[in-house]
Amino acid sequence: MADGDLPKKPALARDVNRIGNSFIFPPAVMDDIHIKSELGRYRMRGFSLFKKIPHWDDLTFLPGTLTRFVIEGYREKCETKTIIGPRAKKPIELDIPVYITGMSFGALSYEAKTALARGATMAGTATCSGEGGMIPDERRYSSKWFYQCIQSRYGFNPNHLVLADGCEFFIGQGCKVGLGGHLMGQKVTDQVAEMRSLPAGIDQRSPARHPDWLGPDDLALKIQEIREATDWQIPIQLKLGASRVYDDVRMAVKCDPDSIYIDGMEGGTGAGPHLATEDTGVPGMAAIRQARKAIDDLGKRGEITLVYAGGIRNGADVAKAIALGADAIAIGHSAMMALNCNKDIPEANYPEEVGAEPGYCYHCHTGRCPVGVATQDPKLRERLDPDAAAERVYNFLHTLTIEAQLFARACGKTYLHSLEPEDLAALTMEASAMAGVPLAGTNHTVGIADYHHL
Amino acid sequence: MASVSDAELKNMTQEERVTALGMRTEQLTGKSLYLEFDPDATENFTYPWAPDVDFNKRTELDCDGKTTTEVNSSIRALMKEGYGTVVLKNPRGMHSLGVGILSRLNLIVEGSTGYFAVGLIDGPNVRINGRVGWSCGENMMSGTILIEKNAGSTFGAAIRGGDLVCRGSVGSRTGIDQKGGTIIVGGDTGALSGFMMQRGRMVVCGNAGKNLGDSMYDGTIFVGGEIKSLGVDAIEAELTDLDKAWLTRKLTQYGLMPDKGVDHFTKVVAGKMLWNYDNLEPSEKKLIL
Ligand SMILES: Cc1cc2nc3c(=O)[nH]c(=O)nc-3n(C[C@H](O)[C@H](O)[C@H](O)COP(=O)(O)O)c2cc1C
Ligand code: SF4
Repeated sequence: MADGDLPKKPALARDVNRIGNSFIFPPAVMDDIHIKSELGRYRMRGFSLFKKIPHWDDLTFLPGTLTRFVIEGYREKCETKTIIGPRAKKPIELDIPVYITGMSFGALSYEAKTALARGATMAGTATCSGEGGMIPDERRYSSKWFYQCIQSRYGFNPNHLVLADGCEFFIGQGCKVGLGGHLMGQKVTDQVAEMRSLPAGIDQRSPARHPDWLGPDDLALKIQEIREATDWQIPIQLKLGASRVYDDVRMAVKCDPDSIYIDGMEGGTGAGPHLATEDTGVPGMAAIRQARKAIDDLGKRGEITLVYAGGIRNGADVAKAIALGADAIAIGHSAMMALNCNKDIPEANYPEEVGAEPGYCYHCHTGRCPVGVATQDPKLRERLDPDAAAERVYNFLHTLTIEAQLFARACGKTYLHSLEPEDLAALTMEASAMAGVPLAGTNHTVGIADYHHL
Repeated sequence: MASVSDAELKNMTQEERVTALGMRTEQLTGKSLYLEFDPDATENFTYPWAPDVDFNKRTELDCDGKTTTEVNSSIRALMKEGYGTVVLKNPRGMHSLGVGILSRLNLIVEGSTGYFAVGLIDGPNVRINGRVGWSCGENMMSGTILIEKNAGSTFGAAIRGGDLVCRGSVGSRTGIDQKGGTIIVGGDTGALSGFMMQRGRMVVCGNAGKNLGDSMYDGTIFVGGEIKSLGVDAIEAELTDLDKAWLTRKLTQYGLMPDKGVDHFTKVVAGKMLWNYDNLEPSEKKLIL
């Protein structure tokens, strides 16, 4: 630039002649239509929903100041003991309120399953088999272990049932309410197929309805059958995807389980139709509140446990879910992240292997997991060191607990489960309406005339 | 865990627990995973209960006035005492009768039962003189069940092994999710039998209702009478000499051999079109609507 010249005016980054952009059909939607019109079927993926919904971030705690007395961090005790199914002869006693939810062997690798089991045992909490049967080593590494009785009954074995500390009936999951499990052919290896009595390499779409019962009346009898087979020792848990939560939970209570597990629409999956993950179910904060009300209305508080899972990422989420009424929390995807999911480890080459950058991977359904978690490929599985992974799972579970304790102490509770809706305020109108807590800075709870007579 | 029990873990300090569970760096290096379990360890691993029973030791058990739980625990107590043949009197349509028996036993039920009769069993030989409700023999692993009269729907749901035989007719969704073993029906079966069947064989001497073998993954269905309609992706296959020999043997064993032999049986197997949806031709895609 010669001396004295004025700098050239830079061109505008936007095109001033353009009238506007479509909100209904942004480029991503168009790409999706292009792909589906080639494919002729719905698109599968792993992970959980992508769109924005009212979520835990829309709630905030109201800790003690002068009107409430706070509890000293570290020095004063804040109990975290959690009991699932107190009425059973052998309730499941957990040291911490968080446990590892059921994720099938098949969706996850052997190394991932056993690492989760070891980490959970270290932390004094439970794991769950998931679909597709028991792998003996998972049972042996878990000090508390749920066995899933799922629609497909893949690998279901009464000999394994009697080894369980709890039996969970899968009725639905929040991520894809009303659908059965999916496992794409790439993951149905000989071993997985044999455990499930299927031909290897097929695209497995599990039934969405149980084979031996249809409605709640039959389910009540089915629960009795499992109780007979397990000598009435272990808690029976029903896992429901959150949809018409209040009515569903009332029905569930009538079937007389020991525990009810509600999975919010934030919940993850190993493989499911993209649209089902986006467009089924209701958010966790609404589901917990309704489930709690249903259990309380039927006078079963303290008898039937309420477990919540779906989109739990940190101790604040745990504490918020407990404050809204959950008795225990289960985690899926965040535990997989403790195993390395979406981490840029040196061995992995995400763009080449799954076509996405670390941090943006949702390709569990392909079985090409770059970190060896959601795969059956022996080469990829080598990338997960189960010893180190177990330790990370333990560390993560421990962190969740001390973070949740931090909020409980700040709210003046010496028992984590003493957190209550009164300790929360909502940051948005939607969250206020769904969670039934007042909008921050007001006495107004959206949709409720008089909060104290809820 | 292998070397430490739950109770022991409870009484340890966190430090001791870390060591006992093999979480120390020294133990962790060298991927201890596959070696950690002691071969003699039993907790959380071995099947806890398999009493030694004598089939010649026989006893009767009157179910009248007892709850299901009382009857089932009496059966277990009798097995513990070594009784190998137990006769249940007056079951009067009780649900969940005799479920979860994971050992050898000769069980005779004199009467009819409700839902889930002898479900979740592994080993026993059961004879039921009356009728059974829904889901009889559900998820059975091995053994034999013989029902003299009719059975309800979802007969033998998700069974994985053994022989499940009904001399009379059965309801709908027989052998749904079947994963192995053999189901034999002397009479007719209802709609959607063999729904999502995975393995094993099902023999129906009479007629079959509509949508037989709908969405079956694999396995074989033999029908002696008429088939109202086949379900999605179920197709007829040729009855081979091997099939005929097998049918003759099995049906003779349970006294269900038809007078006209087995040549008239129709064999139904999976078309395997739904195994991989992506492989379907455009015109075939409507198959799954
Ligand atoms: C990889 C993967 C596999 C899963 N497999 C099962 C399963 O076999 N059975 C089941 O009931 N739920 C399964 N789920 C759902 C979880 O149990 C749970 O509902 C959900 O992950 C909870 O939400 P979160 O992941 O946000 O914590 C699976 C989830 C993931 C991510
Ligand atoms: S990194 Fe593995 S576990 Fe995580 S989303 Fe990708 S495929 Fe799934």
